[in-house]
Amino acid sequence: MIHLNNIHYRSLSIEELQIPPGITSIIGRNGSGKTTLLKICAGILVPDSGTILIDNKVPRDEEVGWVNEFPERNILFETVGDEIASSLRFRHVPCGETDARVHACMESMGIASLKNRSMHELSVGEKIVVSLAAALVHDPRILVLDEFDSHLDANLAQKVERFVRRAPAEYILRCTQDMEKAARSETVICLRNGEVVSAGKPEYVFPSLHDTSLYPISWRCRT
Amino acid sequence: MPDVKVFTKNIRVIRQNWTLTADGSWSEGLHVVTGAVGSGKSTLALTLAGLLKPSSGEIQREGISSVMMVFQDPEFQVTGSTVEEECSSWGVDPDAVLQRINLSGKNSFSIRELSRGELKRLLLECVLSKQYDLLILDEPFSSLDCYEKERLSRELSERRHGITVILTHEQSIFPRTDYVWEIIDSSLCCRGKMPGALVLWRSAPSLIKNLILADKIPKNISPDDLVEALCRT
Repeated sequence: MIHLNNIHYRSLSIEELQIPPGITSIIGRNGSGKTTLLKICAGILVPDSGTILIDNKVPRDEEVGWVNEFPERNILFETVGDEIASSLRFRHVPCGETDARVHACMESMGIASLKNRSMHELSVGEKIVVSLAAALVHDPRILVLDEFDSHLDANLAQKVERFVRRAPAEYILRCTQDMEKAARSETVICLRNGEVVSAGKPEYVFPSLHDTSLYPISWRCRT
Repeated sequence: MPDVKVFTKNIRVIRQNWTLTADGSWSEGLHVVTGAVGSGKSTLALTLAGLLKPSSGEIQREGISSVMMVFQDPEFQVTGSTVEEECSSWGVDPDAVLQRINLSGKNSFSIRELSRGELKRLLLECVLSKQYDLLILDEPFSSLDCYEKERLSRELSERRHGITVILTHEQSIFPRTDYVWEIIDSSLCCRGKMPGALVLWRSAPSLIKNLILADKIPKNISPDDLVEALCRT
């Protein structure tokens, strides 16, 4: 369980929040604090006050994979194989083990044939799948996806969603503007002006948003 | 107002290692163009706007005296250094624009202080405050939250002037639309007028496909139309 207590960071203010394992979707307006919350959970930001513990460990002691809104704009290396291997190499994982893990990761995502291709020659869709592979190759316990689905077409979004659901990470935290997708998460957290207005299972959270644009269209004739 | 029309006559636009082909006519009303990421939507947008020249074929415009395009990335299109300057550059009243997009009081903010979503709202509203005979919006919904997507779709639904072309991969919130097009295998296909276009729309969002499978064909694709179809018994 991820426990947040009395977290304060700029406009984000969370008295108490518990995030169980599984897929959690964080929803809310632009500027409501979604990315800030993700960054605190990932250890990228340290709150001004309060505590966050992931199964009794601080985020910076955990393995985290991160994919942001424009993964194709954050490419570091020339070839697909080097890009995916980067997080292992930064950790000084031995070369043989790095090669084996990169190969296994690429095989599992169906992109082994791209290994020696230049990152810059890939389609946008391929770059996004490679970025997800690069975030997963070091087997993070926490996978964070910061609205990376907002620039995908329907087929690509479905394909990537399958990879996300198969990902072995214990906690998958994502923010999204796709409420149909959020409704298929195990947990939904709704933020407004930096505060949690509702958190829990979708069946609990969405009815409280009935008259808002956050209520999934497919739910709108439910009584 | 005279009839406005755009003809894309057997055009071929050559990009690095692929070619977009398009053949069709664009009448007054709201057109939605869909297609996979990388299928050529932005190439088509630039070509319709006259910013890319086709290598063969011809684009003919009839009755079109004003053309505007909004790019996918707002940061590449703004010219003012403050919100107020940006509004002034479009010749629109900053207070009125900012009130409509829920950014009242941010007149003196630097453009760099706005989030991407806020910047997109600002740019779109400046453009939509004016009338254009041909208006091209490349991914207008990306970077907007659900509230702003619904507000924008309502505003576009009410737009009556000229030809408006929206190129998008949006999956749930659309304006009320007159025509649907899609790019399949680098070729532009017209699926026709609503609601007949819906059953031919191969890249339709899954919500719409599910409604069609359930024999609840919506009258159109705005949120209100989808809810009406969903609730139909």
